Amino acid sequence: MIGLYYEDHEVGQTAPLGAYRFTREAIVDFARQFDPQPFHLDEAAAAKSMFGGLCASGWHTVSVSMRLLVDGRYAQRAAAAARGEKPPPLGLGKGVRDLRWSAPVRPGDVIAFSLRVESMQDTRRPQWGQIDMRIVGVNQEGREVCAYTLTGLAARRPA
Amino acid sequence: MDLLYFEDFAPGEVVEYGDRTVTAEEIVAFARAFDPQPFHLDEAAARESMAGGLIASGWHSVGLAMRISCDEFFLRSAAQGSPGIESIDWLRPVRPGDRLSVRRTTLSARVSRSRSDIGIVEMRFELMNQNREVAMRQQGAVFFRRRPGGEARR
Repeated sequence: MIGLYYEDHEVGQTAPLGAYRFTREAIVDFARQFDPQPFHLDEAAAAKSMFGGLCASGWHTVSVSMRLLVDGRYAQRAAAAARGEKPPPLGLGKGVRDLRWSAPVRPGDVIAFSLRVESMQDTRRPQWGQIDMRIVGVNQEGREVCAYTLTGLAARRPA
Repeated sequence: MDLLYFEDFAPGEVVEYGDRTVTAEEIVAFARAFDPQPFHLDEAAARESMAGGLIASGWHSVGLAMRISCDEFFLRSAAQGSPGIESIDWLRPVRPGDRLSVRRTTLSARVSRSRSDIGIVEMRFELMNQNREVAMRQQGAVFFRRRPGGEARR
């Protein structure tokens, strides 16, 4: 497990984020709100598409990875609070690079996500460091379905 | 209804569309499902954070740009998904009450090497607020079917 402060990170560190099962209901519900293209909504229409069958919006897949990332951090923050420590302030995300959707996510697929610390750098503000992490989702057959590099800010440990 | 095909997206074209007001309820609902951090969930907690007030999850702003773009053109097009996105930049927060629109720029278009019936169009999507400030910029590829028998409609 990687700590919450910038200094707790190290390039090359990896951590599992957990897995999520994409039900047909969740796929269609997300698509109705944000990406109502036929191949995310309707099996018959999806069969005629390049995907050959219903699949999750790529935005759904990455949003789920965010949820797992946040849940993991909050479990750590709760543990820190239980030890009587004050958890660090939360940093915001800056952006994403090189997002690939390499295979469709189908109803019933279980996607396991992980992260790897790719690079770290100082910012102009002494209390924040910047971290690039590669987040990868793999399905139950071991095939990568999505990967992206997320850049965000992490609080530095007070001196 | 005649669909928009690969041939209908000309490099250099810039179009603007959409007028969607985002509510605090929507921001909180998305955050509960996908990004439950205090600055996306609770106005009071958000005021004390780096965000200075309730802001939408960056992934929510991406989803809103997608939905606005679906309503404008994806749903009447022969789009076939995307292999990936080069970059997403969250430049400014999206806040409750913001009126959002999208500026789409077609950057390049080429026929797929492996599938002659598919074209790959590189597009930039900028999600703008009511002051025409860009909150989110995203650039990536979209697959479109080529028009059977082929020319652009325009």
